[in-house]
Amino acid sequence: MSVLERRRIRLVPQGSMLLWLGFAGALVMVIVVVLGPLLQTHDPYEQLLTNRLLAPGEEGHLLGTDQLGRDLYSRTIEGFRWSLGIGFVATMIAAVLGTLVGIAAAMREGVLRTVLTRLVDMTIAFPYLVIAVAIIAVIGRGFFALSLTLGLVSWPIFARVVYAEALGLMEREYILAAQLLGVGAWRTLFTHLLPGLRPSLMVMWAFMFADLLIAESALSFLGLGAPLAAPSWGNMLSDSREYLATAWWMLLAPAIAIVVAVVTANLIGDGVAAESRRRAAQART
Amino acid sequence: MLPTLGAWSRWGRPVVRRVLEFVGLLAGISTVLFFLLHLTGDPAVVLAGEFATPETVERISARYGFDDPLLVQYLRFVASIFVLDFGESVASGAPALGLVLDRLGPTMLLAVLGVALNMAVSVPLGAWLGSRPDAVPQRLGNTAVFVSQGIPGYVVGLLLIQLFSVQLGILPSVGMSTWWHWVLPSVTLASFLAPKLVRVLSANVTEAMREDYVRTAQAAGAGRLTMLWRHALPNAVLGAAALAGTQLAFMLSGSLITEVIFAWPGLGRLLIDSVVRLDFPVVQAAVFVIAVLVFAANAVTDVLFQVIDPRLRRQQA
Repeated sequence: MSVLERRRIRLVPQGSMLLWLGFAGALVMVIVVVLGPLLQTHDPYEQLLTNRLLAPGEEGHLLGTDQLGRDLYSRTIEGFRWSLGIGFVATMIAAVLGTLVGIAAAMREGVLRTVLTRLVDMTIAFPYLVIAVAIIAVIGRGFFALSLTLGLVSWPIFARVVYAEALGLMEREYILAAQLLGVGAWRTLFTHLLPGLRPSLMVMWAFMFADLLIAESALSFLGLGAPLAAPSWGNMLSDSREYLATAWWMLLAPAIAIVVAVVTANLIGDGVAAESRRRAAQART
Repeated sequence: MLPTLGAWSRWGRPVVRRVLEFVGLLAGISTVLFFLLHLTGDPAVVLAGEFATPETVERISARYGFDDPLLVQYLRFVASIFVLDFGESVASGAPALGLVLDRLGPTMLLAVLGVALNMAVSVPLGAWLGSRPDAVPQRLGNTAVFVSQGIPGYVVGLLLIQLFSVQLGILPSVGMSTWWHWVLPSVTLASFLAPKLVRVLSANVTEAMREDYVRTAQAAGAGRLTMLWRHALPNAVLGAAALAGTQLAFMLSGSLITEVIFAWPGLGRLLIDSVVRLDFPVVQAAVFVIAVLVFAANAVTDVLFQVIDPRLRRQQA
């Protein structure tokens, strides 16, 4: 086997192929979110009761219509904006909060660390859907209400990982060296600590996004998520409940959309984790 | 025998720490619940419900003391929680805590059934998938499990109802009156939990099969099945048990949805019903009871691990 062939084989191991598949999926989802209305064939909100529960393909409705005669294909496309949008904003809130808390606890020993780690330990064991349900009962439904709620209840998972990682990094030679040279805490944070945390943050981000996507759809399914008329995937699944026997296609498109989105996020999370493990192993040899 | 210092650090300190944590948890939960209710503006309006007359609002305001300064109200609220007084349900007038405790049994039943089923399926499946990760059937299985992680558990529930209750008509889907009613909800709840457990177990088994003690057993002539069941699996299961805490939280979230789908008269359904009706005393009592449950379960699992895994005891000493 020639040297060239051996290198080529090592360049494309199976793990990173799955990672690229994940990135490709993410790109497609971003395109669908951005183009949105351009891809729709009908107004996703328009009701036409004479066209209720049409099967896929009937009267120009690609995926059929729901119980109010709304076009399911266009609603699923619009659902990318609702569901992925809520998932994105919520994950962002959780990531920022969790990273702040995790780093604060890792960099400052003493009372602050004790209080923050105890807080995380206690809240992390709590079923966040329960708290989310209670918060939504008060602040109501809606895009930002839901994003904020999901972000506010899920940050401890982020904080725990960031804390553990940052604590390990703080003991590494290059950070100790920086501190001995008199580099300030803020500069250490931005030039050394945060770049070191990047792989774990990416992995956490992807997994959290997948989890919150399912949580969002679950809350909408319970009638406590997006506004009732909004075409979020959870709402569409909730609508499909009573028509399963007669209009099974109502369940199909939103369910597939959720599965594809979650699998894509998991592929990226797994792929980045494998990739950074591989690089760490390479760095050691 | 007099308690020695060793006994104190092994049993006394953890117990004191747990108690302090518990008090902290109660204080935290009651603070969150209190501010949730006052965030909206006038809690009397919230408690009275959507269609209340001004007189009702005034009566509730007087009954709960909503005219007092906020700090006084807060302290009173915390005090009432410590004596387990959550007030009466707005919808039925019955004590909120009693309503919640009545629903505890069904939820526990569902939880036990779901977890048992989850273990019965996930442990053998995870062991099989992890034992030969590179063989073709296992690869296909791993891919299927990976994809199934993306399927929300409630979709599984809907499909089960469609198939077994509507199409075939062999299993009931509403309520919990007979054993047959228990089947679909338990399967649904287990489907929330299984993919994650299977993945962790199979990864752990794969790793354990490469460990020295397993290879020693192999060298000593142990068959493949013995290696798997006697040596690799116990350690893989113990490793996966570290998930128990987050799995428990996840399970309660799952049972919330499962109970709503199957009209299971448990805690989760009561919580959702009360949230929809804005029945705040019941919501508060339910959240409180769930918090206590989670805390107790975590404390018990911690102790159990120390009993099961001798390595943990040595670490702490």
